[in-house]
Amino acid sequence: MNKASERATTLTAGGDLNQPLLTHELGSLAKPNWRVRAFAGSRIEEGDLEEARLWGERLEVPDHEQLLDLLRGAPLDSGQKEELKRWSSRYGVRFLEKVGLDVVYDGEQQRSEMYAWSVAHAEGFDWRGSVRAFDNKYYSKAAVTGPVSLREPFHNDEFELLRGFAQAELKVPITGAYTIADWSFDEHHFTDIDLAGSAATRRSRRRAGRRSLIRDVARNLIRPNLQALIGLGARWLQIDEPGGSTDPEELDLFVESFNESVEGLEAVFSTHLCFSDYNLFFPGIEGMTECKQYAVGFANYDSRELGVSDAARPGYTVISKFRDLPYRPALGLGVLDIHTDFIESPELVRDRVLYAVDVFGDPNRIHVTPDCGLRTRSWDVAYSKLENMVAGVELAKQRLGL
Amino acid sequence: MQISAYQHGIYPRSETVVAATRDLERNRTSSEEVERRFREDEENFVGVQREAGLDYFSDGLLRWQDLFRPLVDHSPAMRAQKLVRWFDNNSFFRAPEIGDLHSAGGIVPSVFALNGELPEPRVATLPSPYVFSRAARGQAADTDRDALMLDLARNVLASVAGSLAGSGYRVVHLQEPWLPFFGMEEGAWEPFEDALRTLKDEIAGRATLVLHLYYGDVGPHAERLRRLPVDAVGFDFVETDLESLGRDWEIGVLAGCLDGRRSLVESVEGTVAFARRVAEALNPPALYLSSTSDLELLPLEVARRKVLRLGEAIRRLKDDLP
Repeated sequence: MNKASERATTLTAGGDLNQPLLTHELGSLAKPNWRVRAFAGSRIEEGDLEEARLWGERLEVPDHEQLLDLLRGAPLDSGQKEELKRWSSRYGVRFLEKVGLDVVYDGEQQRSEMYAWSVAHAEGFDWRGSVRAFDNKYYSKAAVTGPVSLREPFHNDEFELLRGFAQAELKVPITGAYTIADWSFDEHHFTDIDLAGSAATRRSRRRAGRRSLIRDVARNLIRPNLQALIGLGARWLQIDEPGGSTDPEELDLFVESFNESVEGLEAVFSTHLCFSDYNLFFPGIEGMTECKQYAVGFANYDSRELGVSDAARPGYTVISKFRDLPYRPALGLGVLDIHTDFIESPELVRDRVLYAVDVFGDPNRIHVTPDCGLRTRSWDVAYSKLENMVAGVELAKQRLGL
Repeated sequence: MQISAYQHGIYPRSETVVAATRDLERNRTSSEEVERRFREDEENFVGVQREAGLDYFSDGLLRWQDLFRPLVDHSPAMRAQKLVRWFDNNSFFRAPEIGDLHSAGGIVPSVFALNGELPEPRVATLPSPYVFSRAARGQAADTDRDALMLDLARNVLASVAGSLAGSGYRVVHLQEPWLPFFGMEEGAWEPFEDALRTLKDEIAGRATLVLHLYYGDVGPHAERLRRLPVDAVGFDFVETDLESLGRDWEIGVLAGCLDGRRSLVESVEGTVAFARRVAEALNPPALYLSSTSDLELLPLEVARRKVLRLGEAIRRLKDDLP
């Protein structure tokens, strides 16, 4: 057993995450230009090499000169492109370790995108095209056109790769069943196309189709993928559900999909929610008893003023609802707004953390994270934000005597 | 009964434009190149509408980042702020933060890309004053949203609608998803009617005002809706039962029949059959056929097929109905 998996077993013994103000990332980092360009077959510029060299030195990536040699040999063949992706993962892990996080992954450097990566490894989907998420940000959207199944486990290779060189604890982020279903068109479970019958009948049939679709994805795609990871020794699996609150009337389906995915499996499961009215999750998630931690984005809704009063922390007023859940999960407290280049100061992070600890009355139940993945920020900005997050946690620990 | 069809709202961008805007943000292409790609998309959308034989032309609002953005960006009194989920979709808009609209003066942004080049007659899409006031943030929104609704109608939307009506736009189509999705407080109906009247008066005799209600069931509001000061009310018939709307409307009706959120394309026969039922039951002076909501949430190829299907349906319907 290597160092990472030893630590993982220690961390999750007894199925809890009791570590006060534990810090971790939430998902994707931007892919470096050198990776994007070389992977696309574009010419590698001197600036790309310099970027790889500077970050390699800054992050103390072992043997990073070998990456520079690889890049100088571009264009790359398919085997070299796989090697390039492995370098990207090394950089991603070191990025998060160097900045000082307790639990890391690789910024999802192996994956195309959280939804596309899952769908690309599943049967029963066909791609339909790009759809806007916001502004100029688009995602590729597929339709479910047949029974869903797992073509091949789609995080095994990266997990095995990362635990070979990660020094910090690993947490595997996995896109959740509800989100995959919600972000897909359904051309299989609900196929009525014309406005026949009453709207109430259509709604009822549509809901039955939605339930069938969501359960199909949970049982036949997500669950077997989780089982494969657990078989390899993964202990902390984060189910990402940015789509979780999309339709408040489907919260029961969201909860059902989580439970169907994880029930009876031996690992720690957490979930990530972001950019929603979190009040909508209550009381629905009272039934998600296997969820040991909710990682939730709040900074996007908060003030940038310092202070630990309710007035100073408007983005965090909902956290008491997570505190009061009967199964006492930890809260992954989002303290970095991932939509802007604004660098939160350590003091601002500190105050957000202190506010949450005061509400929960237990620092063991507060973990500290960005709101979401930092993929839309440059590495410089992401690093500065995370660096200040770690510094802010240290300030909070000092204040709390931890 | 006057029967016509048009495609309202934001139309999806091509993969080429999506890639170009992404590349621009990463300094991998020029703004001139992005502009060229947008123009191609706009011309293609006009071509699709022409091929479909639609009665009014839209530029597809392809450059709009969301329903409010061009208006917000052109006003010194408004800013596009936090990302907020667009109803129950995996799509987000930036909530308009609104300051003092009185001091900002009327704004008439050039929000319709093709302007002189867009074939006539034209249809313009704008946010309804109700959804605008409810989606907004900031002091004006926190203080009195109904007053804000009236301010938005008078100081923002009326000047834009008036300008459009004077330049070849024969239909001003207001998008209103808030009312169907969240409902409306009892006290807000009167200011809502005043706001709509402001817009209708502004374009009277020059353009038709259509209020389109989507993303929810508005059957319970039918009696109020049929008395609103607009030329036509639009329905999302995926959500609203035709039977809940009563009979014999004295204002026009837009039948949203093609689902703007599903990739399966409706049949011509089913669409025509339903439109015929609308015509028979509501017997409006004008019947418009369209999609339930913008096609923005569909990939371009699916949206294109829906527009063409809309064209097939309206041709058949015109043949069938007197």
